[in-house]
Amino acid sequence: MRPISHLTALSALALCFTTPAFSQSVTLEVTAWKGNEAEPAGLPELIAHFEEQHPDIDVELNYIGRLDTDTVVPPRLQGGDPPDVMMTDMPLIEVWGIAGLLTDLGTDSEWYGRIPEELQTALTYDGAAYIMPLEVIGMGNFVNMGLLREVGIEEAPFTIEDLVAACGALSDAGINPMIFTGGFSAPLFLIANGIEAGEVDPATLGSGDATFAEDAGFNTGMDLVRQLMDAECFDPETQAGLDPWSTALAEFQGGNFAMMPQGAWNITAFSEIEGLDFVFAPIPSSQDSGVALDLFGIGWSIASGSENQDAARTFVNWFAQPEQIQVVIEAEAAYSPFDDGASGTPDLAAPYDAAREAGGIINYPFALLQWPKPLEAEIWDSLTGFLLNPDRGNAEVLERWDEAVEDADF
Amino acid sequence: MTTAIRQLHGVLVHAAVLALVLLMLTPLLYMLTMSFRTGTEIAEHPLGLPTELAWENYTRAFASMNYLRSVANSIGITVSVTVLTALFGSMAAFPLARNSTPAARIFIMLVALGLATPNFVTITPIFVIFRDLGLLDTYPGIILAFTALNLPLAVFFYVGFIGSIPKDLLEAAKLDNCSDWQIFWHIIRPLLGPATATLSLFVMLMVWNDFTYPLLLLTDREKFTVTISVYRFVGNQNIQPDMLFPAAVLGSLPLLVLFVVFQRRIVAGVTAGAVK
Amino acid sequence: MLSRRSFFLFTLPASIVLGLFFVYPIALTLQLSFTNSTGVGEADWIGWRNYERIVSRDRYPEALWTTIKFTLVVVTVQTLAGLVLAALLHRLPAIRNFCRAALFTPAMMSFVVVGYVWQFIYSPFSGGLNSLLRGAGLDDWTWGWLGDPDTALYAIALAHIWMFVGYTTAIFLAGYANIPDDIEEAGRLDGASSFQRFRYLEIPLLAPSFTINVMLSTIGTLKTFELPFIMTRGGPDGATRTLSLEIIDQLFGNYRFGFASSLSIIMLIIVIAVAFVQNRYLRKRELR
Repeated sequence: MRPISHLTALSALALCFTTPAFSQSVTLEVTAWKGNEAEPAGLPELIAHFEEQHPDIDVELNYIGRLDTDTVVPPRLQGGDPPDVMMTDMPLIEVWGIAGLLTDLGTDSEWYGRIPEELQTALTYDGAAYIMPLEVIGMGNFVNMGLLREVGIEEAPFTIEDLVAACGALSDAGINPMIFTGGFSAPLFLIANGIEAGEVDPATLGSGDATFAEDAGFNTGMDLVRQLMDAECFDPETQAGLDPWSTALAEFQGGNFAMMPQGAWNITAFSEIEGLDFVFAPIPSSQDSGVALDLFGIGWSIASGSENQDAARTFVNWFAQPEQIQVVIEAEAAYSPFDDGASGTPDLAAPYDAAREAGGIINYPFALLQWPKPLEAEIWDSLTGFLLNPDRGNAEVLERWDEAVEDADF
Repeated sequence: MTTAIRQLHGVLVHAAVLALVLLMLTPLLYMLTMSFRTGTEIAEHPLGLPTELAWENYTRAFASMNYLRSVANSIGITVSVTVLTALFGSMAAFPLARNSTPAARIFIMLVALGLATPNFVTITPIFVIFRDLGLLDTYPGIILAFTALNLPLAVFFYVGFIGSIPKDLLEAAKLDNCSDWQIFWHIIRPLLGPATATLSLFVMLMVWNDFTYPLLLLTDREKFTVTISVYRFVGNQNIQPDMLFPAAVLGSLPLLVLFVVFQRRIVAGVTAGAVK
Repeated sequence: MLSRRSFFLFTLPASIVLGLFFVYPIALTLQLSFTNSTGVGEADWIGWRNYERIVSRDRYPEALWTTIKFTLVVVTVQTLAGLVLAALLHRLPAIRNFCRAALFTPAMMSFVVVGYVWQFIYSPFSGGLNSLLRGAGLDDWTWGWLGDPDTALYAIALAHIWMFVGYTTAIFLAGYANIPDDIEEAGRLDGASSFQRFRYLEIPLLAPSFTINVMLSTIGTLKTFELPFIMTRGGPDGATRTLSLEIIDQLFGNYRFGFASSLSIIMLIIVIAVAFVQNRYLRKRELR
């Protein structure tokens, strides 16, 4: 990968010594936390395709992990040496957009009009559209049907009662029912159920106008977690500190646990495991359909400091076409962020699809900036602590969330 | 005690201490054996020996880490930082060792403060300064940052070292009408060899192993040091043993080889540096 | 004595580098600590609010306490283990050099590598330690070493000690080399046993090595964030969240540069205070 500074130097040279026509070939540097071997998201093939159609534009894809994006990209954005196009999500938009580091893609573009209204509102920050969405992805419950059938259950659980019954049957048969890690898995379950059972708009909880500690929904959610513990769905102590990104995935893949709340981006990798017979279902809740916890994940943004604004726009607009989006969402097992309702999920995600169609969609509040980012880590920590000490009262856990909200807004 | 019992006792004590020391080395052996095993092998038998050497682990890590380039970067940065710290450090130490004016005392205090300061305390502003000077993601930038980090240590070393040079030698030179610079360059500098050797060891360990500066100040893969290549290759989510262990071995290899060859000098140098 | 002009010229390069990349940044950090800066864009002056928040929340004093616990464990165990190893090796010249080098080897590795390797050793299912225990029939002893808040910090401390105990040992051995032979000889002729010599002769004479070891490891441990960053990211439930890791997280996870700066200033004050007090106390002890 050639450093961008060489390229600008080169193009400057080209300007000096040749006619302008010669310098029209542009190289776009694109950063993304997808597109590598583990999570290709269709990007390598799409980029090759794009370059074929646009012979004057060269694209260099630079893989930077999501956590590293926080540390690695901002200095470049500010240092006057930004990538041209970057994969972003809403927490990044919030910080970079407000600081003027991103190009406003405009609310008049062709694709903007195709975004469903609810998502449109969420994506538009201070009247500006800084992100072209690539996908909406599900977070739900992975269910190992092979193990469920061993105890005579034919369908993934949708409701809490189903779940509790399954847990009982599985643990009687000596099968570990559930992975419920204090980081990620337990929070998904609690956030989905807390919002569903609650009556207030989640945004008011995230702004501090209402408190988690007094929220009926989240108190119910906490009680549901206790109910799962009593039903022996999981051993809280071992689950508390389990790493959701490596150990937990390996354990589910190895068939050692029957269920695991996780994101649909794992579907592709899990499908490659021989003998793993699983479905992707919604998160069981008190509603019949279960909860489809949708995550507005990723999109493209253009750096305002990029010298190749036109080429960058060409790139971004090209990705907004349905046939390109389709490649991404199929590789990711995701849904189109546009109003065509296209889906890229395989058959084994049918239970989740069904929950979406039944209106069981809840948007992951962090992805839409309804809740401040520091709260996410606090939820993980506090639930880990709760699993280790289930005697803790609801208030003791939820007050920590309120403190995190309070701390975030100054 | 009879001689026989004493001898037996001696052998037992030696054996026990050796066993203890070898136990300390097991994580290294573990790292090495694991690096030759495939992911499936490890999942099935976490502790076994490799059934056959999985060289593909290494070819993958080697290519993805951009290994040779990152080793070259670490070497280049180490050499540059050593030269700069040695030069600037010894120059500053010369008057500091000779003068005890308030200015000198303030300078020394500042240096002591620098020794105790964690580098992430200053990382935020260094961002800003680097940005304004156009030093982000450049070799000169990372070299200057490391130089600043090592300079307090260098000044400390050299002040002690120059302080121990006999005064008469310098007085004599002064009487011969040598300028301060001539004294420094022709009399003091040639005497600083051992101190500089020790210093370069510290610089080397710091540059090869530091993780904060390259993580935050370098973004171009072509400029990565070895350690940051390891980190970026292994990642922080979904860590795979068949990637982790070969990367760990490759990441440690250059310094470990150097250590095996020069172990006596390295241990002596690093401890001497600390004791002074 | 050098002339003022020479003094100025000789210290100029070091002053520029230290001024630009050390003094000025610290001043900026101090300034940032009174703002709500997010690292990008404009920031507002918010007075002492960051500091007030730090003292009024349990989270930050807890991080400080975690740091202190970690430092105490590491410094104590590492110094004592280093001392015992050095005393043993001092008495076993035949294997001294080999063992010193072997013990020193981990110090040549980076925190990143050590963190990754030990994280895997501790990993609950396919990790080396638990597999070893299972292999030895000690199934009851297997444990989620990094997943349990009661053990996570100590597990990390062990990795840290493993990394640096050889360094400590080498410094003590250098201290032994400075003990004049005739003193040891005299002790032996007086009929002092090996342990008596260790207790009443060697330990007092090793006082300077104690000073160096304790100071080096205290400062090094206080400011470390690398191992918890790699191995646990501060978890479970904040059990391994040291003050330095908290700073890194606030900076690059939450973009709260102003807040992180005020934590940094507190950190800096603590490190300097500890270094100062230790230096005073240990040097005084040496003189006795």
